[in-house]
Amino acid sequence: MKTRRLAPLAILAAGSLALSACGGGSSDAEGGGGGEAQALDSLTIMAPYFAAVAPESDDPVGTALSELAGVPIEVSWVPNSDYGERTNVVLAGDDIPDVMVITGKDQSFVSTAEAGGFWDLTDHLASGKYPNLVAENPEVQEAASVNGRVYGVFRMRDVIRTSVILRADWLENLGLEPPETTDDLREIARAFTEDDPDGNGKDDTYGMIAPQWPGGIGTSSPYDAIEVWHGAGNVWREVGGELVPAFTTPEWREALEYERDLVQSGYINPDFATMDPATWNEPFLNGQGGIIIDVQSRAAQLVDLFYEKDPENYDKYVALVGQLEGPNGTYALPTSGYAGFLAIPRSTVQTEEQLDQVLSILDKLNSTKAQILMNNGIEGDNFTVEDGYAVYDESKQDFTDQVTGAWAQLGMNVAGYEAYSPKPRSEYDEELAQLRLDLQAEDLQNAVFNPAAALVSKTYMSNGTQLDNIIGDARIQYIAGQIDEAGLDAAIQRWRASGGDQVTAEINELYAQLD
Amino acid sequence: MTTIVDAAAATTAARRTPPPSPRRNRFRSAVVRYRWLFLLMLPGIVYFALFRFWPMYGAQIAFRNYIPFLGIEGSEWVGLGHFEDFFTNPDFPRLLTNTLIIAALSLFVAFPLTIVLALLLNELRLTILRRTVQTLVYIPHFLSWTVVVSLTGLLFAAGSGPLWTLLNGVFGGDTNFLTDPTWFRPLIVLQEIWKNTGWGTIIFLAALAGVNQEQYEAAIIDGAGRWDRVWHITLPSIRPTIVIMLILQTGQILNTGFEQIYLMSNALNRSVADVFDTYVYFVGIQQGAYSYSTAVGLAKAIVGLILIFGTNWLAKRFNQQGIF
Repeated sequence: MKTRRLAPLAILAAGSLALSACGGGSSDAEGGGGGEAQALDSLTIMAPYFAAVAPESDDPVGTALSELAGVPIEVSWVPNSDYGERTNVVLAGDDIPDVMVITGKDQSFVSTAEAGGFWDLTDHLASGKYPNLVAENPEVQEAASVNGRVYGVFRMRDVIRTSVILRADWLENLGLEPPETTDDLREIARAFTEDDPDGNGKDDTYGMIAPQWPGGIGTSSPYDAIEVWHGAGNVWREVGGELVPAFTTPEWREALEYERDLVQSGYINPDFATMDPATWNEPFLNGQGGIIIDVQSRAAQLVDLFYEKDPENYDKYVALVGQLEGPNGTYALPTSGYAGFLAIPRSTVQTEEQLDQVLSILDKLNSTKAQILMNNGIEGDNFTVEDGYAVYDESKQDFTDQVTGAWAQLGMNVAGYEAYSPKPRSEYDEELAQLRLDLQAEDLQNAVFNPAAALVSKTYMSNGTQLDNIIGDARIQYIAGQIDEAGLDAAIQRWRASGGDQVTAEINELYAQLD
Repeated sequence: MTTIVDAAAATTAARRTPPPSPRRNRFRSAVVRYRWLFLLMLPGIVYFALFRFWPMYGAQIAFRNYIPFLGIEGSEWVGLGHFEDFFTNPDFPRLLTNTLIIAALSLFVAFPLTIVLALLLNELRLTILRRTVQTLVYIPHFLSWTVVVSLTGLLFAAGSGPLWTLLNGVFGGDTNFLTDPTWFRPLIVLQEIWKNTGWGTIIFLAALAGVNQEQYEAAIIDGAGRWDRVWHITLPSIRPTIVIMLILQTGQILNTGFEQIYLMSNALNRSVADVFDTYVYFVGIQQGAYSYSTAVGLAKAIVGLILIFGTNWLAKRFNQQGIF
């Protein structure tokens, strides 16, 4: 008798719970738009995290940052894999934070910003009132903008990352020098394939290792790097005052011939179109392939892996060089220099006074002290400083991982990275770190930036992925020998017809307005 | 005249059931009478209301330019604009062809194989053998597509995969099965067969268990062989089940299984691998075009609904039982 009455009640209760979950509680009224001109009494930030677990609300780094900021900082951590989806859910709901990490200029962000959903920070950041928010590289701030309007404080990343990583022991066995030009690279790839670089008397090696991803255009893939070295430009290129897609230039075709030759001669792994990128290191470690074109940090990763395998001679396996000189000059492929930005929604931060308060807090979060908290942790607890380097306490590795996997995601570092680097294990590691810095400085002078990085074309917003796929796929098909020049032309024609021409027109219109 | 009849009807009604509104009253008495059944139904009704019907409110973003910040109501109404864009898209014919070919292969190859396997299992007389085989063929169903595709990738990897080596060795070729567009569909269907055929037999085996055994005995006396028995007794007996499964399958025809196809596609086979589901992913999820991808999903659902009604109608025309 009793159960009969309770059952429907329980169902109703469950139902109303689900309903209220859908609606998204609006209990955070005091956090954000409480009153008209009231100062914020706390700052809520939404940010992604990569760590195994998100920091608790009483995390020592969080407490220290709150003290520094003068108001309690509450971060709602979202796993990185769900972040894009959650951003849209949050924007559609009532519980909008004061500051949101935006990971990219996708359609929903741009349309929200253009509908007035985020503060336009262009003039505020230029006022000089927030010294720690003045960008060290103004080009990067420009690149992170939407057609010149800055909607967020970008999160700085290394501008130069692309490099060529080679098996140093193979070079030595064959008496070869590290490559300086693209021709050198082809010769090394040939020698690594045909001249038995590991000296085991078997024909069991190939030159270059390329995976399936990154493989599209403008993704810093190995192919993009080779094309930039040939002078094709970075995604877009200015030709006589007009911007044209890099893949319509003769240099791009020249680079594709080069890539096709590598593939057709068998100097690259046969499964380059399907190889899982998670296994990119394996052929290099196992001695099947000897060349990887990817980010510099992969060299450090490989050194670590060789250290596990062979701690005695781990310093003899990896050679690292930067950009290669192409047949048409010296060009380096830079990154966009940022990884998303921190934007300020207008629905919670409603007045100029509140905006000023939020920007002042972000300014404080960019100070050296805050950067050390976010990137290293608590000095004297999980790390100590030796010779200007951070030495981590191994017993507190979990905490350190949480700091670097979560708090570091809030770091903008636009005025320069001031936190400590980890102390190198040995002289070799220190040399490698120095080499990376030298290569960065050298390549930066030849960096070819994407002239359209800041430009957001309407058609590209809605069709960009398919458009990029048309060319990216045609490129792989061409170098695999599946299509010929006519097929490549047909793909470019298809790109034009599917909206590419419209993108070019829109980009050029915006480009003219920008100057 | 009418008044008299009405009055008469009213008195008759009144005699049977005193209150003035008989229909509502019948409903109420039905509720009281079958209260336990209604109670059992309640979770289902709540489930459908909450998770199936309430979300349909959001389907209206297919007719708007949805911007999350402006909300559903606040976003601009564009009517059928997104549907027009989709049907006039230069990719549309290719997407439709690819989707239909893969769907047809799974309908005409994988589906009949399920019935064949069920019949084969049914003919096994040794119970322990049948049970073992049954369990073994169910196992692949529980592996995720990621695992199945990774296995395929390992087996067929150019240059190192055992099946790649074997097939190219026996037939003397240099085919890269994972990137060759002509091999994409066969691989997809083979994976589908390997993964789901065993699982699909469950319903048919249940139907086969219900076939009256006396018919077989009678047929044996009449001198029918094994083949005759399958053809004249077994298959006709499970025909309703086959028809129902076929109708349900047809409704799913445009759902080609996103995960499997997305994971199997690469730059070299994309011309045959692009289907509606992957298209929705690229446009909707990767580019954040929520309205457009909702419109595509809605169009797909409507086609699926029409197909269900169509096959149901056909099934009834050919003197079979439909599902409704």
